[in-house]
Amino acid sequence: MSYMIITGLLCGALLGFVMQRGRFCLTGGFRDMYIAKNNRMFYALLIAIAVQSVGVFLLIDLGVFEYSAGSISIVSVIIGSFVFGIGIILAGGCATGTWYRAGEGLIGSWIALAGYMLMSTIMKSGVLASFNQQAQQSAVFPTNSIAETFGINHWIIIIPFVVIVALIVYKQLTKPKVVIPALKPKRTGLAHILFEKRWHPFVTATLIGVIALIAWPLSAATGRVFGLGITTPSANILQYLTTGDKGFINWGVFLVLGIFAGSFIAAKASKEFRFRMPDVKTGINSFIGGNLMGVGASLAGGCSIGNGLVMTAMMTWQGWIGLIFMILGTWTASYFVFVRPRQKAKAAKLKEQVTPA
Amino acid sequence: MQKTLEVKGMVCPFPLIEAQNAIEEMNSGDVLVVEFDCTQGTESIPTWAAEAGHTVTNFEQLDEASWTISIQKK
Repeated sequence: MSYMIITGLLCGALLGFVMQRGRFCLTGGFRDMYIAKNNRMFYALLIAIAVQSVGVFLLIDLGVFEYSAGSISIVSVIIGSFVFGIGIILAGGCATGTWYRAGEGLIGSWIALAGYMLMSTIMKSGVLASFNQQAQQSAVFPTNSIAETFGINHWIIIIPFVVIVALIVYKQLTKPKVVIPALKPKRTGLAHILFEKRWHPFVTATLIGVIALIAWPLSAATGRVFGLGITTPSANILQYLTTGDKGFINWGVFLVLGIFAGSFIAAKASKEFRFRMPDVKTGINSFIGGNLMGVGASLAGGCSIGNGLVMTAMMTWQGWIGLIFMILGTWTASYFVFVRPRQKAKAAKLKEQVTPA
Repeated sequence: MQKTLEVKGMVCPFPLIEAQNAIEEMNSGDVLVVEFDCTQGTESIPTWAAEAGHTVTNFEQLDEASWTISIQKK
């Protein structure tokens, strides 16, 4: 038990710290692919996937633990991921993002988190559990592993993927550089690097890939053979608190609590922690978004971390199909939340200029 | 001319979107001062300004989770 508490909290705290300092936001990354035509954060995610994938499959080949991806319910992954994508735009952050922003003192993220935990619990052991189970049992495809489907060795998929990611990174890093203005340094040495300096997204992504990798053996040692996961552990917290059943406590629970703690430490030490109350509209959006995230992630069997970072690294259909539909969900919501209001405002202004009242 | 945009309390990406909207209305050489408290804005606002070719004349942390950035339109 104490091993589980210590390694879970430590791994989570590292992740929370790195995400807060690196401003690692997948929601923002997916959104910016569409509204700003900027793929930087998506490429960063690919780096994290590649690092984790190589590491985890080496550990599996060395016999450190065994993992089988099992089967996949395609329709629920597609619908769930799309709904999750809409939810994270409304909530202003994905599941992990919401946990770490809660650690920065954003009350809007606390509201989103409450909706997310509540709805995941309802979907996993509450009134919607039977609906969720039915969805999971329909349109089941027997092999989730992409390599297994084609009957090939997993490295035949991983190696070309790593080569592609390396080429993208090379191309990005050799592009003519724009100097990004930095804050005036007020600290020196390690304190400057840890708590002040801007972290390059690719450095942050590499660190996240390594953390996602070490999560596997740490978690497997407690009997939970999986890497980073947010949704089930978030629901487990509420399930444990409301039933008192210790069976709900697992490595993942300490991982998510660690994210919160790590982000709080990073934010506090960088003078970025402050309780911030959202306005009514943001508060309502956060709550609706949190609920959609809970429904979506439960149906899809994972959030932007569970499916988008971990199941992708495991080279599964669930991970990659989930990631694609999650991104489509964020684009759909971005159109209604950001793009359309802007177009409307512009059109209204133009009309005003043409027909002066 | 200088214009101040107060977007404290707004969460990302709204501070950035408000800044982009505001600068569109301004003339070349005008300075837009954005005051924000969304942590992710410390990455997204200067990155956008630099990539759009504007000049950042000041970028400072004022207080706990509170920043100001001055952008001169190109």
